[in-house]
Amino acid sequence: MTTTTLLGELKKRGVKVRRRGERLLLSDLHGALTPELRAAIDAHREELLATLDGGERSTVRSVDSVCPYCGVGCAIRYFVDEAENRIRYADGRESPVNHERLCVKGRFGFDYTSHPQRLQTPLIRKESSYPKGPLSTEVRGERRRRSGGLVDYEEVLPHFREATWEEALDLAATRLVEIRDRDGSGALAGFGSAKCSNEEAYLFQKLVRAAFGTNNVDHCTRLCHASSVAALLETIGSGAVTTVFGDVQTADVALIAGSNTTGNHPVAATFIKQARKSGRTKLIVVEPRRIEMADHADYFLQINPGTDVVLYNSWMHVLIEEGLIDEAYIADRTEGFEELKAVVESYSPEVAAGICGVESGLIREAARTFGRAERAMIFWGMGISQHTHGTDNARCLISLALMTGNIGREGTGLHPLRGQNNVQGASDAGVIPMVYPDYQSVADPAVREKFEQAWGVELDPKPGLTVVEIMGGALDGVIKGMYMMGENPFLSDPNVNKVRKALSNLEFLVVQDIFLTETAEFADVILPATSFFEKSGTYTNSDRRVQVGRKALQPPGGARTDWEITCEIGARMGYPMEYGSPEEVFSEFTALAPSYAGLTYDNLGLTGKLWPCPDPSEDGTQVLFGDRFPTASGRGKFVPAEFAPAKELPDKEYPFVLNTGRRLEHWHTGTMTRRSRALHAIRPGPVADMHPADLEALGVEDGGIVEVASRRGSIVLPAVPSDRMLRGAVFIPFHFREAAANLLTIDELDPVGKIPEYKFCAVRVSPAS
Amino acid sequence: MATRRSGEQMISLSIDGRAVQVLPGATIWEAARLLGIGLPVLCHDPRLEPVGVCRLCLVEVGEPKLTAACVRGAEDGMEVRTSSERLEACRRGLVELLLSDYPVDASDRPKTGSDALVELAAELGVDWPARRWSGETGEAPGSRTEPAGGIPAGDGRALDGTSKVIFVDHQACILCDRCIRGCDDLQVNEVMGRTGKGYQTSIAFDLDVPMGESTCVSCGECEKVCPTGALSLVGWEGPPNDAAGSGDVGWEVL
Ligand code: SF4
Ligand code: SF4
Ligand code: FES
Repeated sequence: MTTTTLLGELKKRGVKVRRRGERLLLSDLHGALTPELRAAIDAHREELLATLDGGERSTVRSVDSVCPYCGVGCAIRYFVDEAENRIRYADGRESPVNHERLCVKGRFGFDYTSHPQRLQTPLIRKESSYPKGPLSTEVRGERRRRSGGLVDYEEVLPHFREATWEEALDLAATRLVEIRDRDGSGALAGFGSAKCSNEEAYLFQKLVRAAFGTNNVDHCTRLCHASSVAALLETIGSGAVTTVFGDVQTADVALIAGSNTTGNHPVAATFIKQARKSGRTKLIVVEPRRIEMADHADYFLQINPGTDVVLYNSWMHVLIEEGLIDEAYIADRTEGFEELKAVVESYSPEVAAGICGVESGLIREAARTFGRAERAMIFWGMGISQHTHGTDNARCLISLALMTGNIGREGTGLHPLRGQNNVQGASDAGVIPMVYPDYQSVADPAVREKFEQAWGVELDPKPGLTVVEIMGGALDGVIKGMYMMGENPFLSDPNVNKVRKALSNLEFLVVQDIFLTETAEFADVILPATSFFEKSGTYTNSDRRVQVGRKALQPPGGARTDWEITCEIGARMGYPMEYGSPEEVFSEFTALAPSYAGLTYDNLGLTGKLWPCPDPSEDGTQVLFGDRFPTASGRGKFVPAEFAPAKELPDKEYPFVLNTGRRLEHWHTGTMTRRSRALHAIRPGPVADMHPADLEALGVEDGGIVEVASRRGSIVLPAVPSDRMLRGAVFIPFHFREAAANLLTIDELDPVGKIPEYKFCAVRVSPAS
Repeated sequence: MATRRSGEQMISLSIDGRAVQVLPGATIWEAARLLGIGLPVLCHDPRLEPVGVCRLCLVEVGEPKLTAACVRGAEDGMEVRTSSERLEACRRGLVELLLSDYPVDASDRPKTGSDALVELAAELGVDWPARRWSGETGEAPGSRTEPAGGIPAGDGRALDGTSKVIFVDHQACILCDRCIRGCDDLQVNEVMGRTGKGYQTSIAFDLDVPMGESTCVSCGECEKVCPTGALSLVGWEGPPNDAAGSGDVGWEVL
């Protein structure tokens, strides 16, 4: 059959065929389409596309990829105008993750990639711009040039000159080698990025370990879930979620602890809200802010900031007292229950009520609801982890799940909601100072030997420094050279003033990014990298789902992919790293990471797979730890925690408690979202949320400008009244450099997870003229 | 569609003379889809609970009345016809009515999906712009900004450009409730509902405030599922005219 006869045949039967871009649309109102005709259409697909609508093939092509923003990892189809090398629009596609849903960032936030400020040529700092220091007047705090605080290119760029890739890479490698050979490997460090792919993360840590010769490699997971992971490893032997968030629809109770889910994991939140709405799942929300999730909750406990340990200890107290624990599970699957019991003994709801600021009756009710559930799931976020007692907070939640037998079955489990699109993957790939890929300890000689063989070099047996420790090292002069791939610690790390000094103090800094960031102002060499849309790679979401992000656009100008740049630096440091494609890197990584065994780009397909995936013809393992935990004894361990107050409590001079976090429309340091038209239009600048009565007491109107000061710095921004806040509390998002919340935050660390206390420090608020 | 549980009896029916088996609870529309028969739909989307308000999916099941396939459950022994002169005439009539006050410019707006209503008109051979209702005077339809032909400006219903991402043309809305279900049931943002009575009925945000002032979180679900130009993208070109997005309602995509 020729195409013409086929078309005639279809017409005769009233079947309409049209072309939409690269797809064929069929309308068969009369059901006349026989299997034979279908087969013929399939066979003539290309010709039909060429013939139909008389036309040229459209230049709009669709690319099935994933979202570059959060750990939910929504599956997205991008519609790309190839002629203009630009994404026209995006749509959610079918996947177990999001079922076509998206949030505002995924749907509208992709256009940063085509922003004219993209870096396109390697840059080298001019001789005249030494000694190093911040380059923009705003960062120096001299004068506020203009609002809308992205890095001012006009001010910063003149301090750099354009260079060839050869020159820039040579310079980077030579200087790093120089420092390594003079001061030892321990003087070097690298920050990887949870925005980069698994392949890039793997190569990055390989470069730092094998070529730099140190384990000083870390990334922003340190700043988000390090304490959760520490607690999970210690208690149940694995840092991963024990079930996927979509499983909430089979849970009787979902507890949301310290997570502003609708803002930070919006699409995951839709499934939780849906479960609640269906009447199947009861929802308990524990948060110091009356977040939107609280509007959907059966029980909402608005606790005083930093009192989580007390609350959950008192829940456990109630559960034990009222026999709402799973004795069999405790006997068969756990250890250390007696120690826990002894500790929670003294945390009655009445005691807790005084500390948490929640009525004891409500504490009891919520605890009972949780305890009576046949299946309960626990979700948590930064409100649990970002405290100096973050590990303790997580320990309590884990104990709660263990004591009620809520791990290892459908509809039960622990789900620390991961922030970045690839924070799970970057951790899995070993961008962590203590472990190689797949959490294999650098201190274990057998493991080390395995990696020494695989990488062909001797490796440092000493665990490396963490993010904040590396910054401390830079300040003390111990760390002299750094390679920063896509991180912007200037805005993201606590106590920015200290970070500024540390960065200025570095002898040599390579920054690899897609825009000039605040951190790049301190760089000696800036390497222009590709954005998410300009490369392929795999990303692992909060559910442990490994998905392929597919290249949609060509990189601008001379920008190169992160993995290539890393390999080039390795080669120039005398450690050749040669790969033909990200896929090759992936297979090297999966061979060394048992959890990823069996996964290939081919079998990941359009919707990815959950790791571990023992049978790649299936979707992977949804529920972990059905019969044993990956601990030495195979049992889950109760680790009791006593309440300890936050490090810096409010006092006369600094009477308010500052809480920091994100807004729905923005991402971290804003380098992406503030360059997205829609996201910027919806939320153009910073505001501080405060209780109406507090603002009134200060004599500040809605939108009035306030100065917020801590012992470390001060910022000026508008304040708005919000009855979602507790009295005495201030919430400020950390996206906005013109009012950088992290100038205020305290760089005190959790002793185990080494995570900073972003969620609690004392500040003073006053009207600013 | 309901997943199969062991021991459950399958339902057997025939559609346009072709036999098909489905699980209890499946609708006629779902059964037809199994056979590859794409019935025209406007208010239905497989991701949403069917409500059966647009009646475009009408089929004959041997009863005096026509029935909406998207909500009517498949029954054992049912003999369904998806096309006949009567059905065609009904569908054309429905589309013509829906388009009788549809603003001509609404169909050009950028959308994530497509303007399924206008596509369906082309499909069914309804020459709609020409047959648009022109008021009692017989003059041209009212313009978007000036009253004309006895019809108020904007044809009596408002345009809402307050959202930064989604443009609302209430006049182009056919009240299929897809956006409302998308917002309230899928995303559970619970921003949208209906307001008003009779011809003045419209979709509404919160307690009928402009979209940009509502508690809308700009997730875009409502725009994605809207089958007309009532909800469209602001600031994006959307698909070029010859390339639709994924919302090709009633059309099968290959
Ligand atoms: S929920 Fe997360 S992954 Fe999904 S669209 Fe929003 S930012 Fe992207
Ligand atoms: S964009 Fe706004 S109105 Fe539309 S579905 Fe989302 S929240 Fe609801
Ligand atoms: S009534 Fe069935 S699609 Fe509208």
